Amino acid sequence: MAAFIIRRVVWTIPVILLVIFMIFMMMRQIEGNPFRRTERAVPPQVEANLERKFNLDEPVYMQYLLYVKGVFTFDLGPSLTQTDRSVTDIVKEHFPRSLKLGLLAFMWAILFGIPAGVIAALRPNTLYDYILMLFSNIGFALPAFFVATLFIYYFAVKASLVPTNGWPLGFWEVDSRVLLPSLALALYPMAYFARLVRGTMLETMQQDYVRTARAKGLRWKSIVTRHVFRNSLIPVVTATAPLFGLVITGTFVIEVIFSIPGIGRYFINSVSARDYSVVMGITVLTSLVVIFLNLVVDIAYGFLDPRTRTSR
Amino acid sequence: MHRNRWLLLVVALTVLSLAAVGCGGDDDDDGAAADETGATDTGATEPAAEQVLRIAWGAEPPSLDPGKATDTTSSNVILALMDPLVKLDPDTLEPEPSAADSWEVDENVVTFHLNQDATWTNGDPVTAQDYVYSWKRTLSPELAADYAYQLYGVKGAAEYNGCEKDCEALADEVAVTAVDDYTLQVELTSEQPWFLGQVSHHSFLPVHQATVEEFGDNWTDPENIVTNGPFMLESWDHEASINMVKNPDYRDAANVSLERIDGPIIVDGITRVQAFEAGEVDALDGAGLPPEEIERLKTEPYYDQYPSLGTYYYGFNIENIGLEQRKAMSLAINRKIITDQIDRTGRAQATGMTPPGVKGFDVINPNSPWLPAEGDMTQAQELMGQAQDAKTKINLFHNDAPGHKEIAVAVQSMWQELGIETTIKAQEWAQYLEFLGPPPNKAVDAYRLGWIYDFPDAINGLELFTCDSGNNNTNWCNEEYDALVEEAKQTVDDDARYEIYRQLEGIMFDEDGDVPLTPIMWYTFPNLEQDSVRDTFYINPLDQIDFTKVVVAGG
Repeated sequence: MAAFIIRRVVWTIPVILLVIFMIFMMMRQIEGNPFRRTERAVPPQVEANLERKFNLDEPVYMQYLLYVKGVFTFDLGPSLTQTDRSVTDIVKEHFPRSLKLGLLAFMWAILFGIPAGVIAALRPNTLYDYILMLFSNIGFALPAFFVATLFIYYFAVKASLVPTNGWPLGFWEVDSRVLLPSLALALYPMAYFARLVRGTMLETMQQDYVRTARAKGLRWKSIVTRHVFRNSLIPVVTATAPLFGLVITGTFVIEVIFSIPGIGRYFINSVSARDYSVVMGITVLTSLVVIFLNLVVDIAYGFLDPRTRTSR
Repeated sequence: MHRNRWLLLVVALTVLSLAAVGCGGDDDDDGAAADETGATDTGATEPAAEQVLRIAWGAEPPSLDPGKATDTTSSNVILALMDPLVKLDPDTLEPEPSAADSWEVDENVVTFHLNQDATWTNGDPVTAQDYVYSWKRTLSPELAADYAYQLYGVKGAAEYNGCEKDCEALADEVAVTAVDDYTLQVELTSEQPWFLGQVSHHSFLPVHQATVEEFGDNWTDPENIVTNGPFMLESWDHEASINMVKNPDYRDAANVSLERIDGPIIVDGITRVQAFEAGEVDALDGAGLPPEEIERLKTEPYYDQYPSLGTYYYGFNIENIGLEQRKAMSLAINRKIITDQIDRTGRAQATGMTPPGVKGFDVINPNSPWLPAEGDMTQAQELMGQAQDAKTKINLFHNDAPGHKEIAVAVQSMWQELGIETTIKAQEWAQYLEFLGPPPNKAVDAYRLGWIYDFPDAINGLELFTCDSGNNNTNWCNEEYDALVEEAKQTVDDDARYEIYRQLEGIMFDEDGDVPLTPIMWYTFPNLEQDSVRDTFYINPLDQIDFTKVVVAGG
């Protein structure tokens, strides 16, 4: 297992290099001047000064090498637009907030999505099933920004139960302001989990070993918990890594609507502002998160399914 | 049995779908707290006991460094924290004393006499040397300030800013000098009658040398920053909030009512409106309202709007569109429909480039025959008929920000009556600006742009359309026009200069004008303000808020 983990960690280095290279080239391909933010023309001497300051006057390969060097020395460079701060400052301050939002949303998704799937699978084609799956369909179909706006309108403006916007800034700080955004963001993964668990549980229940377990007289409750549920979790775990990546990077819309000072907002804004260093910094970070999650998932397989442990 | 099942189902669904209500009900401390602070909105005239203004900022300020900031939010926060040499009178936009008690103008030399009571928040006096340091810092190639060009009117400034190496000598040539601690002398490249008004811009604010040198880029962090204005930066949580407290040592603190300015940063327009309507803030900062909400908000008592020095226009690529056709297309636009039925924020139909509020407007405005408020389709069609090699399939470009598409669609249908088939193309902002050049991409026949004035003199808008201007995307080049712009820059006498501005407008928009662009409307800032601050909260035409004048009324 240790060798496996080390191998995986070493492999992240070429992956990161590739990610940097691709994003670097793509950002340079799109037109647009990072120093022209308004309709005002930038005088040539001002533009020359800015290019010198941010190394944009160097040849592209030098810019790439300088950047790679920066990443491996934990210096993500200065932001081209947020001129009082470096990219490292921005990431350090804002990423934990998006992470907290993502984690909370994921918590709701697991807390409600998985039990909903289990209930639906244990009572297939009953009213329970139909209603839960109807909700799950709705969760799939409604875009988060729409649900978020409705939430604000009914729960914050009309009923005044929670503030319309804002976010507790500390990572461990939680108050009523986290409810609406995390629930709005949770809807999609919640629906996804419910459907996935229902499908795999139904499939697992058709398996021979389940029939065997029933035949040898095991109690239904223990068959469900020990055999059916546990085996159904493997696809769920597989889906978790990309889904969590999606939730973390998909916080943008929710962040804007609820005025949450997370990193998603910077991501989108810096693409449109051509703030190369911020885009690169956040992309590298997000890739690290996804790579790390995939690693965790691979390890988790080992615990859920002993066969993967021995075969490795 | 059946009844039990139903019960179970109801319980399960309640848990699932109404989690938000269930959890939210017992945990609304923050909502209550928000209601307690600030004043009530009963519209009473007595000042409230607690002088706290809660304002929603429309954006995260990219920088609170006067040398580096370029946007409106940064500018308004900085102007609350710092003390400009002059301020503009809200009605006349004439310069009035602020950090400078008085000034003299002798041809192209301006001498400011600084207020001797002014101090930095660390107790140091504010001196003329501070201005010399700050202006040169902004111009230094190493700082690479976007707005360095705001100072190009100062002799030697452009040369220093454009320097590539061994710049010390050029820095010494920049003609801003401290005659003594409280006398600042500036020599300009020419007599620039608008210079005094321009000095109210945040680019001309001083910074505290020792602090900037000690902390570098981080000098604007709340724990480091040293300022000299009516308010002090208490906290700056990026993308979340900016809070300021009154500076008790400000030279004019006796005339500042507000004790605090608490400002959540709310970028989304709809959320901003919702926060306001839930009573969480007293005012918005003029950053704009969502177009789809305007119609409703306009009827509310808390809606307000201010004239802005800005012009929304459609430019023509004159290499693609001939003179007769440009005139016809300009005439075909019914501006009243655009302002009253599409935009609906109380903007006025433009009758020239220079907006009202600019000094000398009455003289300068051409009241152009090519810009009638309701258009003139009959004459437009006639002209179109006369146009030689008219282009009947054209591309109209706009950037993809809210509101522009709707106007483009209306104009498309107006131009259709001239037999012109218009293809509307939207582009993302950064790409759009590259596309427009100058010179514009050949595919551009007509395009949308706007101009918000930096200072209240018509030259700021009229000089956009000189041959070499980086802001002239029309391919139009008229030597007579360029010569007149130069002449205006040398003309100190207001009335004489306004006459020249009138001629400039005439070259573009008079009966025999070239019509390289067609102004559509003059901007306004729509805003929301509670009764408690409505009387004293004011956004000037340059989008500046003077927080020293705000008084929160209470019951």
